[in-house]
Amino acid sequence: MKNTSFADKMKELESLLQWFESDEVELELAVKKYEQALSLCKELEEHLKTAKNQIEVINKKFGQA
Amino acid sequence: MNEVLSVSEAREVLQETLALAVPALMIEGEVSGYSLNRGKFVFFDLKDDDSLLSCFMMAFAQKFPLEDGMRVRVVAEPTVTARGKLSLTVRAVQPVGEGSLKKAFELLKASLSKEGLFAPERKRSLPEMPEIIGVVSSSGAAGWADFSKIVQQRWAGLHLQLADVSVQGISAAEEVIAAIEWFNQQAEPVEVLVIIRGGGSAEDLAVFNHEGVVRAVSASRIPTIVGVGHEVDESLAELAADVRASTPSNAAQLVVPEKQSVLAQLEKEASALSNAMKRLLADAEDETEVMKQEFKRMVENQLLIKDQAIKAHKRLIAQFNPEAVLRRGYGIISSGGHIITRAKAVTIGEKIEIALKDGRIGATVDEKH
Repeated sequence: MKNTSFADKMKELESLLQWFESDEVELELAVKKYEQALSLCKELEEHLKTAKNQIEVINKKFGQA
Repeated sequence: MNEVLSVSEAREVLQETLALAVPALMIEGEVSGYSLNRGKFVFFDLKDDDSLLSCFMMAFAQKFPLEDGMRVRVVAEPTVTARGKLSLTVRAVQPVGEGSLKKAFELLKASLSKEGLFAPERKRSLPEMPEIIGVVSSSGAAGWADFSKIVQQRWAGLHLQLADVSVQGISAAEEVIAAIEWFNQQAEPVEVLVIIRGGGSAEDLAVFNHEGVVRAVSASRIPTIVGVGHEVDESLAELAADVRASTPSNAAQLVVPEKQSVLAQLEKEASALSNAMKRLLADAEDETEVMKQEFKRMVENQLLIKDQAIKAHKRLIAQFNPEAVLRRGYGIISSGGHIITRAKAVTIGEKIEIALKDGRIGATVDEKH
């Protein structure tokens, strides 16, 4: 998830799905968009299942004490 | 003691002696007769059942609202006023006891509320799927441990940044404010700021009602969620935050979605997608089928038309068939093998043949007209 965030990819998937519901669907384009959507789905699933968490304790003493 | 002093000098001697002997006092008592003069000078009396001492302080030194009847603790220096009165110049004052704490809380709440710090319109929504989360809490506290565990269970690919601060005690307010400001100053700020601590006594939780802390939360440009493990009253910091969590664990639930439900949603969407594609392909197939049928019909139509044309021709031909003429009762006259259609073509006495539907008649021409 380097360049676009998880949330952005979810939105992209959402708009692809909406396209399929619209009236403008035509077969050739649909095949392309279908592949795009499916690959996004896979990416998102991969991320949720395998991405690691990082915990960082900030190296700074806060306040004047 | 032989000197003769003026009144002013006498007052000064008394003042200095007093200042030397009692440089400062810490006194606990009840506030009475509170008044604010010209927005700058505060006067009140500090009393108990038997005695009363007059107090004076500058308004800016008063860090929280005061009201008659409140129990407070002051740090003050005694002075002898020009009018020979004993007065205490108060350097610091704080509320004491649950009643006073509660009173101070109510007054602060009212004044900040009036300023609009708690207005619902100010509240921003938290990002739905944050990747970088800032946390202000104590690393040793149960609140942080609970939050951290739950948030990691729920979501993946998170980067948690913890600002480790005291969440109770004297330095807590200062530390919490510094941490909030630090997060806000970063070049790449976190997406959401979570300020949490576990349960405790009213005094333990006092930092969340501290005016400076409440203002820092309110001023944060990063959306905030405040969760204090305490069921009863909402702290002022919780009221000022964009979102209030009931506990640190609840904060974990509010700040990230649950990955299982998102995974289920993704599966549903993949499945809906598949169905949509199947439908499209089926529709395309149907359309081709329809076109084929149309074409077939067109061809058949053409054939039918042609067929009918041929039949019509046949009928016409049939009508002109000589046999048909005979059947209608006409006769066909011929002579010498040639068909006669005009009277001119025969001569009197010529032998002719007449064909009728059932046979032939041989005849001779008698007359012509």
